[in-house]
Amino acid sequence: MDTKFIRNFSIIAHIDHGKSTLADRLLELTGTITERQAREQFLDSMDLERERGITIKASTVTMYYVRDGQQYTLNLIDTPGHVDFHYEVSRALTACEGAILVVDATQGIQAQTVANAYMAIDAGCQIIGVINKIDLPAAQPDTVAQEIEHVFGIPAAECLWISAKTGDGVGQLLDAICDRLPAPPDRSDEPTAALIFDSQYDDYRGVICYVRVFSGSLWPRQRIRFIGTGAIYQIVEIGQFRPDMVPCDRLTSGQVGYVVANIRRIADVRVGDTITDDLRPTDKPIKGYRPAVQMVFSDFYPAAQTDFKRLRSAFEKLSLNDASFSFVPQNSPALGFGFRCGFLGLLHMEIIQERLERECNVDVVQTAPTVSYEILLKDGTIKRIDSPSELPDMSKVAELREPMVRLEIITPIDSIGGIMKLADARRCKLLKTDYLNPQRVILHFKAPLAEIVYDFYDQIKGISHGYATMDYEFIGFEASDLVKIDILVNGEPVDALSSIVHRSVAEQRGRRLILKLKQTIPRHQFEIPLQVAIGGKIIARENIKPFRKDVTAKLYGGDVTRKMKLLQKQKEGKKRLKSIGSVQIPQEAFMSVLEASKGQ
Amino acid sequence: MSCHDPKDRSRVGLYVHIPFCQTKCHYCSIYSEPIGVHDPARLCRAIESELNQYKDVDLRTAYIGGGSPTILPAELLVGLVSKIKQTWPTIEEFTIECNPGQADERVLQAIKAAGVDRISIGAQSFDQQELVLLGRRHTVADIYQAVRVARRAGLGNIGLDLIYAIPGSNLDTWYRNLCAAISLGVEHISTYALTIETGTAIEAAVAAGKLEPIDEETDCRMYELAIDVLESSGYQQYEISNFARPGFACRHNLGYWLGGQYIGIGPAAASYWQGRLTRNLMDVRGYTHAIEAGLPVICESEPVSDRQVIWQTAVLNLRMRQGIEIVDFAEKTGHDPLDLFGHVIDRYVRDGVMAVEEGRIFLTRKGMLIADYLLYHFVL
Repeated sequence: MDTKFIRNFSIIAHIDHGKSTLADRLLELTGTITERQAREQFLDSMDLERERGITIKASTVTMYYVRDGQQYTLNLIDTPGHVDFHYEVSRALTACEGAILVVDATQGIQAQTVANAYMAIDAGCQIIGVINKIDLPAAQPDTVAQEIEHVFGIPAAECLWISAKTGDGVGQLLDAICDRLPAPPDRSDEPTAALIFDSQYDDYRGVICYVRVFSGSLWPRQRIRFIGTGAIYQIVEIGQFRPDMVPCDRLTSGQVGYVVANIRRIADVRVGDTITDDLRPTDKPIKGYRPAVQMVFSDFYPAAQTDFKRLRSAFEKLSLNDASFSFVPQNSPALGFGFRCGFLGLLHMEIIQERLERECNVDVVQTAPTVSYEILLKDGTIKRIDSPSELPDMSKVAELREPMVRLEIITPIDSIGGIMKLADARRCKLLKTDYLNPQRVILHFKAPLAEIVYDFYDQIKGISHGYATMDYEFIGFEASDLVKIDILVNGEPVDALSSIVHRSVAEQRGRRLILKLKQTIPRHQFEIPLQVAIGGKIIARENIKPFRKDVTAKLYGGDVTRKMKLLQKQKEGKKRLKSIGSVQIPQEAFMSVLEASKGQ
Repeated sequence: MSCHDPKDRSRVGLYVHIPFCQTKCHYCSIYSEPIGVHDPARLCRAIESELNQYKDVDLRTAYIGGGSPTILPAELLVGLVSKIKQTWPTIEEFTIECNPGQADERVLQAIKAAGVDRISIGAQSFDQQELVLLGRRHTVADIYQAVRVARRAGLGNIGLDLIYAIPGSNLDTWYRNLCAAISLGVEHISTYALTIETGTAIEAAVAAGKLEPIDEETDCRMYELAIDVLESSGYQQYEISNFARPGFACRHNLGYWLGGQYIGIGPAAASYWQGRLTRNLMDVRGYTHAIEAGLPVICESEPVSDRQVIWQTAVLNLRMRQGIEIVDFAEKTGHDPLDLFGHVIDRYVRDGVMAVEEGRIFLTRKGMLIADYLLYHFVL
């Protein structure tokens, strides 16, 4: 098949700038779905995505469009739109030759606009600038076009003005996609190489791989090999997303579609891997994929120890749909067997946690997320730890290093003061200030990830009345004066409550943490001392007083039903408690570690 | 200290709920309605009709509670008592709740003659200010009068209810309350810690900062004071909140804690009958209409699984001072409680909140103070 009339592209945008609405309009205009079929925002298919109004997983769809009497095949690869999902965006962009950069005409360039656009440029994509929501009274398309030219060097005159909501200008955008974006190169004679940019597990069909064919072709009954994992399968079905899966006879160089090969071993499929023909393999696996960098870690323990196996299979299933989180078995002296999980960021963690409970029905107790640290030992070796409990004896440690990020905040100028104050309290260093226009500015910082990962964005939103946006990217580890805070509950150290913080705030955070714990750990029959230790030295103590009286005064016939129901309910609630010694600690307590770092 | 006949557990108790009150007390969350807007005769006919459904059951105790049963016109109340006693002549203990201020000597004589042999007087407090705070309509003098009248009517088994931990009270005022109750020479005294129930006037006052709840420490000491004072005055504690002179424990109420069956009659009454926990319609009109139309009045009904019977029996038994009789429990449920709850019991015995002696498992005084917390670990 001639690749001249294929266009592979993504839509990239800051959250809520109208990416999903635009995708819906493209589907309608190309007749891929009818207006009646069009559920709002077709591509956000996960319940969770709809609820949160964000795209988590990249989806894909093939459309046909006639331009000057010629039929074009347009493959839209949707990208996620949140700060945590850089990796997912990069996977999608690698499969494309072009990108549509959507900017809200009322909001202008935001932090993720910048981050996503640079990623597209890195991936070698041709970019079409699109200014959306021109139907709104507050739209300032001229100003926004100037910003786009100023920041990305895309001439303001080349930006398209559209309203994804009304459909205004979307036809011209389709024309521009055909005219301005490059066609994929035709390498159909070379050996097969197809990139897996996403996957999905189907209970009946096994793993479904989302692929972009770069060279050669794929066909049913072909013996294929996954270069990275070495697994060999025979293709059962290939096809395209229209947007439902429609089988076809062949996927050739330049095309996008899916592969079903009765794959039951989910470990055989790695997103980023290359599929080739087993009999005529390529010697050029596709490059350009950055591995996912997990920066936030948290322990997940099954609330009931007997659920450990169920939790494992739940993680295995989720990891198939989301290649960007990791899970490693972990045994905590305090909490028993569980998993240490790595995430791209905090939102990513919340999503996995919710999907775990919603889709897999496993009750989990989760520890407060921490970032990953690097340690230089005195013998010269370097070690990565992603849990405070892994910190070795400090006498062996030459240097503790914490992850640093490049942080960009775009804000109206009247909020600069408040943001700078917060940034200062969080040890962020201002590197540069760029004016987008006289009212808005990009602040470039270098910041410790640990300080911004949790509530920083919320704080910034609060300070700027919702106007500021931020994005960050990991740049490396840097030596820092860090100490470990240990918490002793009833005299026993609880590893899951330990944290690593900067020495300057350690004592304050420790004190705040035990006050918080005092509120979240219920009273017991006995007094529970809570202690904070820094470097093995106890620096603060609080006591949870025992309860003295807890008894129903009247229990006669009419009260029996009520009381028995209550007891049963309490028993259910106990599922989310963990016993440490004879102390029962509820889920919220483990999250207190985060609360203690809240505010300034 | 076994104060009951072990055969009691196989006997069924009858409870009749009269959901009428003059006004709502400030602490009360029990279902009741002002009597003025209803036709009590019609309700009594409905109740008698519901009673008929159980006429073949072997009932041994009866209890008419409320609300305020004594608010009913005398002839209706006497009629109801007679009907019950005539249907089940084998009833061995027949209690009626009586509000001080509604104790009429002739009425009490009449219901005594009709079969009532025990009266439970809702005294609540001997402090006039506390009565006002609780929203009680009677006076302290009414309590003395009620006891006198009951005695004159020939009732030889009188119980008094007291409430402690009332905002503004202290150990001293509580001690005087206890002494006043004891000095009346009644056979039975119940002491209930004030529970701030949702939807009550007291709850609203506390929420608005107008009343300060009693602190937990004082609450504990009041409870312990009650046990000390009452036991040293000849009242044995036989349940968390109940004290009686020897032989005067309320057999009807013991039935609940022994895990026995009970039939509740009247609006909002609850039953444990034939393996189900049920509750009647909580609405006087709905109830009477249903009865008159020949429709069922049960609005909630849940089967009780074997497993639930086991833990429920344990939890209820442990409210009594005598606790779980190990042999009886095993006979009834088919399980040795020491096997079933062994690890919990061991821990509690070590902590000094539970004891295993003479074939019984029971809470110590320390344990009774935190019974809810402890008993929750018996849920299977």
